[in-house]
Amino acid sequence: MISVKNVYKDFGENGEIKVLRGVSCEIEKGERVVILGPSGSGKSTLLRCMNLLEQPTGGEVWVAGDLITAPDPYLYPEWLKQSATYEKMLRRNKKEDEALEEICRNRLLSKREGRAFENMRKAIEKEKRLDINLARRKMGMVFQHFNLFNNLTVLQNLTLAPVELKLKTQEEAEEKALELLRRIDLEDKRDEYPAKLSGGQKQRVAIVRALAMEPDVMLFDEPTSALDPEMVGEVLDVMKSLAASGMTMVVVTHEMGFAREVGTRIMFMNEGVIAEEATPEEFFKNPRHPRLKEFLSKVL
Amino acid sequence: MNFFEGVYTLFTNPNYMQSLFKGLQITLVISVAAAVMGLLLGTVVALITICPDSPAMKIPKWISKIYITVIRGTPMALQLFIMFYVIFTIRDFPEIVTATIAFGINSGAYVAENIRAGILSVDVGQTEAGRALGLTSGITMRKVVIPQAIKNVIPTIGNELIALIKETSIVSMIGMYDLTMAAKIIGSGNNMASYLIPMSVVALFYLAIVYMLTFVIKKIERRLRAGDKR
Repeated sequence: MISVKNVYKDFGENGEIKVLRGVSCEIEKGERVVILGPSGSGKSTLLRCMNLLEQPTGGEVWVAGDLITAPDPYLYPEWLKQSATYEKMLRRNKKEDEALEEICRNRLLSKREGRAFENMRKAIEKEKRLDINLARRKMGMVFQHFNLFNNLTVLQNLTLAPVELKLKTQEEAEEKALELLRRIDLEDKRDEYPAKLSGGQKQRVAIVRALAMEPDVMLFDEPTSALDPEMVGEVLDVMKSLAASGMTMVVVTHEMGFAREVGTRIMFMNEGVIAEEATPEEFFKNPRHPRLKEFLSKVL
Repeated sequence: MNFFEGVYTLFTNPNYMQSLFKGLQITLVISVAAAVMGLLLGTVVALITICPDSPAMKIPKWISKIYITVIRGTPMALQLFIMFYVIFTIRDFPEIVTATIAFGINSGAYVAENIRAGILSVDVGQTEAGRALGLTSGITMRKVVIPQAIKNVIPTIGNELIALIKETSIVSMIGMYDLTMAAKIIGSGNNMASYLIPMSVVALFYLAIVYMLTFVIKKIERRLRAGDKR
């Protein structure tokens, strides 16, 4: 469904803040992957790289068989062999493997790499790359701060995207929206503006706004972190029922109970890499990574 | 002649009234036309300045930056003089058009900064939510960000329009017959021989225009804030 290949992400003017340092993971259809980790470990950045709200500095993201980032030459040894740098290294009597390794290590490709190399890269890009706006239609995203459109009513929040993208007529979209609002018991709020809703209500509406696009996968970026403790439950209930309906989900959260109960796989991130990956039972019973042991001892 | 007698004379003498209304007309025409031009120009410039950096936008962005810097950094009167005595020196070119262009260009620079600030004041989460749904940046701008930005900029744009109306009084410096010029002529020695009365009356005229404008802006603001009430 989503495959992340060796993704790097730097922030800052010269890339001095390294948030993701080579993350690779696969999200299969029907999985419910929970990403845990201390703050600053890159959980949210990884999630935002999946739908390109954050442009990775290096690496590739594939969604349902299509490439959504620019192709990353470092993942393709056969491209690197087309590069001028590689040829130069062979001429200096390096072995093939050594030359490739050195290119990857030094990331020399920011220099001119020759026409054959460029053509190959462009060909792959043309063939496989999918317009990000098309890819995003299939990926719902729920934000920590809800981000409901403040200038639109609840119903308009749900119908805006399907109607503007001409996926549905206004009537169809409204029908679907009302059905979704009924599911979260907020049908009576259809004509209210977001400012009048409580935090929990806003987040429930934000979830169904994403569902109105009928996505194949839902990304949750700390959906309960900005809520009053009282309201966490109602949002988690909606997410649980969504999980029960078989939706593919990737959830960044601090809710350990939810991770244990709903997740099919838990990834623990630390300092920009996935430090540990396991089923929930395994994850909580037999943590191996020392940083994870420390983390669990603090939060449980 | 005491003050109230003077006011009475001013309002009953058809010649004086005619002068006043002629001046009022020119002030209003310049203000309205320059406001329209300033809003259009300002919006375009603001949109250019907030566009993400790309090779194609480099030159427009550069021009916008220089435009805003130069216009905001030089006196309005000087800009007006340059427009009159340097750029539009063609004989019989309608001076009202020249004045409108001068004020429109001036107002555009301020409006551009106001609108830019208004767009930036909309939470980036709104844009992200739109883009995450698969909307293009254009649709997100049009349907989500701009409507919220407009609400934020109405008060500052209102301020700018008020300043513009009053600023038009400097066209009297190049001899145009606006409200201020009318007051000056009515008060001169050949006519009333007292500046106090016509100047006070014209001040009231300006005050009335600005007051009405303020009223309209308040109305618009209230309507746009409908979605904010808790």
